[in-house]
Amino acid sequence: MTVHLLGIRHHGPGSARSVLRALEEFEPDIVLVEAPADVESSLPWIGDPGLVAPVALLGYVANEPGRALFAPFASFSPEWQAVRWANAHHVPVRAIDLPMAVTFAAQNDDEMLVDAAPIDPLRSLAAAAGDNDPERWWEDVIEHRGDGVLAFDAVAEAMGAAREGTVPSAGEERREAHMRRAIRTAIKEGHETIIVVCGAWHVPALDLEGRAASVDNTTLRGLARIKVASAWVPWTHRRLTTSSGYGAGVDSPGWYRHVFEHPGSDGVSRFLVDAAHLLRARGLSASPDHLIAGTRLADALATMRQRPRPGLAEVLDAADAVMGGIDIVRSELVIGDALGEVPENAPQVPLARDLAKAQKTARLKPVAAVQTVEVDLRTPTGLRKSHLLHRLLALGVPWGVPEEGRGSSGTFRETWRVAWEPELSVRLVERSGYGSTVASAATARLVERAGAATNLGELVGVLERGLFADLPDAVAPCVRRLADRAATDPDVGRLMDVVVPLASALRYGNVRGTDASALSDVFDGIMVRILAGLVPACSSLDDDAAARMVERLTAVQTSLAVLDHSSRRSAFPAVLTQLADRHAMRHGLVSGRATRLLHDAGAWSAVAVERRLSQALSGGTAPGVGAAFVEGFLAGSGTVLVHDTELLGVVDRWLSSLAVESFDAVIALLRRTFGAFEPAERRQIMSLLLGGSIGRVSGFGADVDADRAAAALDTVRHMLGLAITTEPVAADSRELSSVLHPSVGGAMA
Amino acid sequence: MSDDPVTAILRPHAEDQYAAELAALAVADDRPRPPGWKLSPWAVVKYLMGGSIGAASDVLISPKYVGSQRLIEIATATLATDRAVLLLGVPGTAKTWVGEHLAAAISGDSTLLIQGTAGTTEETLRYGWNYARLLADGPSEEALVPSPIYRGMSRGAIVRVEELTRMPPEVQDALVTVLSEKVLPIPELDTELSAVQGFNVIATANDRDRGVNDISSALRRRFNTVVLPLPATVEEEIAIVSQRVGELGRALALPEVPAAADEIRRVVTIFRELRNGVTADERTTLKVPSGTLSTAEAISVITNGTALAAHFGDGTLSPADVAAGIVGAVVSDPIHDAVAWREYLEGVVRERAGWGEFYDACRELDG
Repeated sequence: MTVHLLGIRHHGPGSARSVLRALEEFEPDIVLVEAPADVESSLPWIGDPGLVAPVALLGYVANEPGRALFAPFASFSPEWQAVRWANAHHVPVRAIDLPMAVTFAAQNDDEMLVDAAPIDPLRSLAAAAGDNDPERWWEDVIEHRGDGVLAFDAVAEAMGAAREGTVPSAGEERREAHMRRAIRTAIKEGHETIIVVCGAWHVPALDLEGRAASVDNTTLRGLARIKVASAWVPWTHRRLTTSSGYGAGVDSPGWYRHVFEHPGSDGVSRFLVDAAHLLRARGLSASPDHLIAGTRLADALATMRQRPRPGLAEVLDAADAVMGGIDIVRSELVIGDALGEVPENAPQVPLARDLAKAQKTARLKPVAAVQTVEVDLRTPTGLRKSHLLHRLLALGVPWGVPEEGRGSSGTFRETWRVAWEPELSVRLVERSGYGSTVASAATARLVERAGAATNLGELVGVLERGLFADLPDAVAPCVRRLADRAATDPDVGRLMDVVVPLASALRYGNVRGTDASALSDVFDGIMVRILAGLVPACSSLDDDAAARMVERLTAVQTSLAVLDHSSRRSAFPAVLTQLADRHAMRHGLVSGRATRLLHDAGAWSAVAVERRLSQALSGGTAPGVGAAFVEGFLAGSGTVLVHDTELLGVVDRWLSSLAVESFDAVIALLRRTFGAFEPAERRQIMSLLLGGSIGRVSGFGADVDADRAAAALDTVRHMLGLAITTEPVAADSRELSSVLHPSVGGAMA
Repeated sequence: MSDDPVTAILRPHAEDQYAAELAALAVADDRPRPPGWKLSPWAVVKYLMGGSIGAASDVLISPKYVGSQRLIEIATATLATDRAVLLLGVPGTAKTWVGEHLAAAISGDSTLLIQGTAGTTEETLRYGWNYARLLADGPSEEALVPSPIYRGMSRGAIVRVEELTRMPPEVQDALVTVLSEKVLPIPELDTELSAVQGFNVIATANDRDRGVNDISSALRRRFNTVVLPLPATVEEEIAIVSQRVGELGRALALPEVPAAADEIRRVVTIFRELRNGVTADERTTLKVPSGTLSTAEAISVITNGTALAAHFGDGTLSPADVAAGIVGAVVSDPIHDAVAWREYLEGVVRERAGWGEFYDACRELDG
């Protein structure tokens, strides 16, 4: 009976090769791997053609899928290769690490299992030997010492020295005790050749000599357990990297796969060839001559750095110096976009379970037939339904599609078209790598989409999705990205387009009680940028651009009013004042609209507005510009003229003050604007000017009852999402009127 | 070299100024040297990066390049593989400096230099003719006036080509044959000059300037590119600026103004933040102005400010003294840069504690 302890580096391609060689040589009759004992039932899947690495073995608490552990495997992971070999040779495989049932239970007791084992002891060893590439070090120092056996002896020796004098933590002690017990069991069962594949760190501790079985049994006695389940989920190379938050991750999975598949001396040139193909596909130049130069440079660098062979650092330095495009190579080849696959009949993922649970609480059954669901956000069930459907949308599982239903302008009602297609189940499994609950997976996916978004509009979309789906953890990174994007976007117009959805997101967030302080910071930041760039952005516009800009100006003013934003009071009017001024490079539409907005905001007095209006329409101004000014000033506001007596007065006084010749000159221009009003509006204006009155439904006179108005105003304010003040408002009839008569720049429901 | 003492020369060549270091390295260096090289690649890197040679010698090598050793290794290894090096970077990143020292260390001679300009002709790169001899004797080797490249090829030495991209592209392409075949054909004499081992080319180019030409892909392919970055950390950059400002102040005989560490830090911070497009705390992203905002420009802003403070101010460097210089350096394009600067001023400077005086000074300039 012999026990071979193969100490490996997790996700180390060199280790994987050595393990395979050892397996071929010893032909074991049982293989033990360092993996939680309760995932053993999932191991037979390794080798199934439907299970394609990278995948992760997911262990989770059965009735609490949010508590989960992922154990990712790449094709170059030694454990993966060992199990694969065993399954192919019909050799029994056993998972010997402490069961997750115990690990999770211990977490529950607040007794965290702190594992003191260094995450990558072999990297530390390589670094101590002066090599920044642990895989090259493994290859040169461990493997080339002789055959596979010697390699593992060397590792055991090194780890023995490294562990000298360290005391294992309680958690580590338990794990190693469990592994030792499993080895003893295998011996007892009469297996002749036993191979143990474990992290190099554990090798010295798994030597049974001088360790009493009774001590281990005491250590393992009476450990609490909890019900856990496991499943396979597709994984990606990107999520194997350390930067993705995976503790035991590697920096360069793509490179490792390459090293695993091409261990020979032509590995470097093969990698450069791959890089060249990639760069050519991106339209960059990369000829065979480059490849020769790159290979030579990598060799020269290795010699100069006194390394036996070029490692990743040398290859990348060479590729960068010779061909450039290093960022592409790093992202596509060194990390890579490999995506694993999981067969359909594999055990169900917790995401699906969590969804089933959420469907139950939201009272929404998955039915194949198309249904229309009306959701009332004021009720808890309605809100849950909306959150769930929005989250699934965020996850890319479009169970429900929002419809522009009746009364869609209201903020408390949503209409969904809901239908559960069979593909959605598959999609769910595909997406299960994002997380084990609908909320966490949707969050992860939104964060990823925010990272990949290329324009502001897309980002705002992601942000809105996050707010509607009530995923605060997704909102923060989106907001951050949005701030970054906004900073570098040279187009003020696009920034202004963002303001409207952002303002509604802010308001909507407030309605739902989401914490939106970060969002409001971003909003403030964007406003600073808009105010800084607005004046230059408004010069030299053609007719179309000016028309768009005018709409944006109005939209910004509206948004500021909706939020009662501080820049509404002085900063924005200051910029508008600059825009309202006459300027050779400025389109009349813009000046006109700026003047109008200043009037609506009460920043300019009636006298100032009149003066500006007559400037625009007097002889010194070209008729085209004057017409555009009036259009910008009055466009689309026939109803407002009817209701805003002050504005009507301004226009009327100016018109009446014109001399006959001047009137003749502008009449054609005015016709263009007034002609666009509805006939009814024109009639009403006419009757007003003739001293008559129009049938007002919502009119009020001088005798406003302050108390009754205040009571109603609270409700109005609430509906508009404005701050509710307790001050009496009677005297402020201007505010009252601006609320009751929505004007161009006023608040709109 | 003449017998004149080196000190009499305003700026001695690298190989003369650091002759002692090079000699000490040559003695201590027992590693294999590529053919035609005076030092091994390892010693070349040591010469540029500085440090102690080892037990064999007590000469301490002064660092010539402050920055990543990786880059110097790539450049040296490239030269050892017979390929030419193209040092790329914005102005003020020590491209010429690195090139000169590489040539001095490898060939012991940094004088083979071609300065690229829009007026550079192919003769400057290849060879010209002594027309008196040409007319008198007809084409002959004696009538030929060799270029630095010609001499480098026949001697087996490193040749430097400064500002490669300032040359017209068709002139640049004269280098293609030289670099790939290592041969310079001389059709007039029906002969050719084959390069002696040790010949190579170090070119510098700057990728952010206006009025530069592209490099043809045929020529680009003959070069390995090393991009020299701006200083990596604030502290590194502040150290470079303070040191150079001190030296320049003495050279220009400026009256002594108390060291204004705060203002230097401020200038460096502003330049770095705008250059990188993100604030130092990495919380706010910024628009990047079109100017280079290199360390060299930071130095000139501080020297300007010092002159202002000494001659017109109260003798201490104040925020107002550097404000005009900073705005002038940042806003080089009146539309785009002005927006970037205003955003930065209102969004970042205004909020920053202790920067109030500087903010007011900048607002005043804005009028």
